[in-house]
Amino acid sequence: MSSHEVNQTETLDVIDDLKWEKIHSSKVFRLSKIKQIIKRVILYNVLIVALIVTVIPLWSGIMSAFKTQADLSLTSPLAPPTIPTFEPFIYAWQELQQPLINSVLFTTLATIFSCLLGSICGFVLTKLKFKGSNTVFLLLTLGIFLPYQSIIIPLFITIRNLGIYDTMWAMILVHSVYGIPMTTLLFRSYYESIPESLINAAKTDGAGIMAIYRRLIFPLSPLPFVVAGVFQFTSIWNDYLFALILTGANFEPASFALSNMAGGTETAWNNTMAGTFLYSLPILLIFVVLGKYLMQGLMAGAVKG
Amino acid sequence: MEQISEEIDKIEDFKNKKKRKFSKEIINNIFARDKLIIRLIFVTCCILVAYFVYYFIVWNIVVSMTDWQGLIQTNNFVGFENYLRMLDDPIFWTSLTNNLVFMLVFIPSSIVIGLFLAILLDQKIRKESVFRTIYLLPYALSFIVTAYLWQWMFIEDGVINFILDLFGLGSLKMAWISDPDIALFSVSFALVWQFSGYIMLIFLAAIRTVPQSHIMAAQIDGASGIRLYTRVIIPQIKTSTFTAFVILMIFSLKAFDFIWILTDGGPGWATTILPITVFKLAFKSNQFAYSSAIATTLFLIVMVIVIPYLYITYRKR
Repeated sequence: MSSHEVNQTETLDVIDDLKWEKIHSSKVFRLSKIKQIIKRVILYNVLIVALIVTVIPLWSGIMSAFKTQADLSLTSPLAPPTIPTFEPFIYAWQELQQPLINSVLFTTLATIFSCLLGSICGFVLTKLKFKGSNTVFLLLTLGIFLPYQSIIIPLFITIRNLGIYDTMWAMILVHSVYGIPMTTLLFRSYYESIPESLINAAKTDGAGIMAIYRRLIFPLSPLPFVVAGVFQFTSIWNDYLFALILTGANFEPASFALSNMAGGTETAWNNTMAGTFLYSLPILLIFVVLGKYLMQGLMAGAVKG
Repeated sequence: MEQISEEIDKIEDFKNKKKRKFSKEIINNIFARDKLIIRLIFVTCCILVAYFVYYFIVWNIVVSMTDWQGLIQTNNFVGFENYLRMLDDPIFWTSLTNNLVFMLVFIPSSIVIGLFLAILLDQKIRKESVFRTIYLLPYALSFIVTAYLWQWMFIEDGVINFILDLFGLGSLKMAWISDPDIALFSVSFALVWQFSGYIMLIFLAAIRTVPQSHIMAAQIDGASGIRLYTRVIIPQIKTSTFTAFVILMIFSLKAFDFIWILTDGGPGWATTILPITVFKLAFKSNQFAYSSAIATTLFLIVMVIVIPYLYITYRKR
């Protein structure tokens, strides 16, 4: 009873305070409003400066890609081209055409494989738990953190011994396998939220595990497939280290071909930038269309670098 | 684990059976016992990861204890000789020092700028998603893309020196990546540019999970503006700060692509950090065994950070 009273008086006090504040603030209302506006102006200015700093390298790069060699030395690096030219893009496309096709192929396939495998692993680790499944999960997760530099020599030897050095299969195999830890993590955290009762209901209806996965779990997981897919596609597409070690002249991934094209004796910056832009195009597309899902993946798996 | 070994036994059984006779009956059996297929895929995945991660690590350690030098592999056991050589090697110490300097510049800057941007974006900004998306854009790009963009920024007649001239700061013009004294800082700066949007995203998500009631309580107590953040919100997002810290730490121990394209580890050894040294030694001078020794050391350093991190993260669940 007494505590109730105390509460009531406290509430009254707060209300009093608020009233007083209202009266008080009306006197200094104009001043505080001006202060508020100045604060907002500064805030937006800082944000816009940060935006400009973020965009400058990209802007300058894209502008350079539309300049001729002569234009490049005449105009400032931030200015748009005097007459836009597509020559650098034509050159870069000729150089990168096959590698880009290669990259699209193996990136797509490796993304699909690693997502399917990760989905099945996530399913087993949440819905078909066994003794030690958490340990297995932790051991898998540890794979995300592996610095690839510390296994490049065994990896190189293995790929060479398998006879798939410098082929598409090397890239598909390596990216699928090293993608499993990450995709398993993503799918596992999603499948944990699927209620057990749903599985049990399907079981009592006589569905086998395969049927449960195919008819129940798989159709329920477009979201994690998109999130894991976008995440995998970007990281596989952006990879350079594996491309550098496991491929040569026969099967060039785009990242490797770009570095070959740009690393020539004489740097033609307009061509390099056009190539860079062509190579980034799929990522930019994904970022614009599916950015939301990429952010989800980045947040969930905040670990890959 | 028992189950796994059981599964492995099953696979072995199946293999043996397959050798004996490959009849239709067995195939039917497998499809009837459909648990097996899912588990077979799962076990295959586990074996693949075990092989490509754990076996490779062991293999790498084994290589690091041989005298393999040059294109033809030799397997003479030399014990810890390569590790002793590493401790005497100025290249190792230079790259370790560079790595530490890089971490000391890169990690705090990214965290401070990321947190700063997150706090700014938390002020009910109009078009917040536009700002957020553009800040994050550099992180989505490949490291080799950003490396070329920054090479173009850093070269002597490049964008940064041009902008300095534009603002009448010509005296500050520098050879950003060809001067060994500042190259490492330039590299760090560019990577802060690429990462701070990502760190911002982590912090922004964390700030949004601070219960509204805590913030209101603090506001009633008179906390506002900067003090609301330093006293109430930042202490509540410790976990995310820790996560961001670990992410940046691990990245700075495996950063390769960006530096390799931008500076090649040069000029001289100025921007050579451990991952670059590992690659250079193995694939440029064919010192495979010695490179493996440094790679193993690198792996151990990463694990010293990761294992406590995972322990803390999963103990809570």
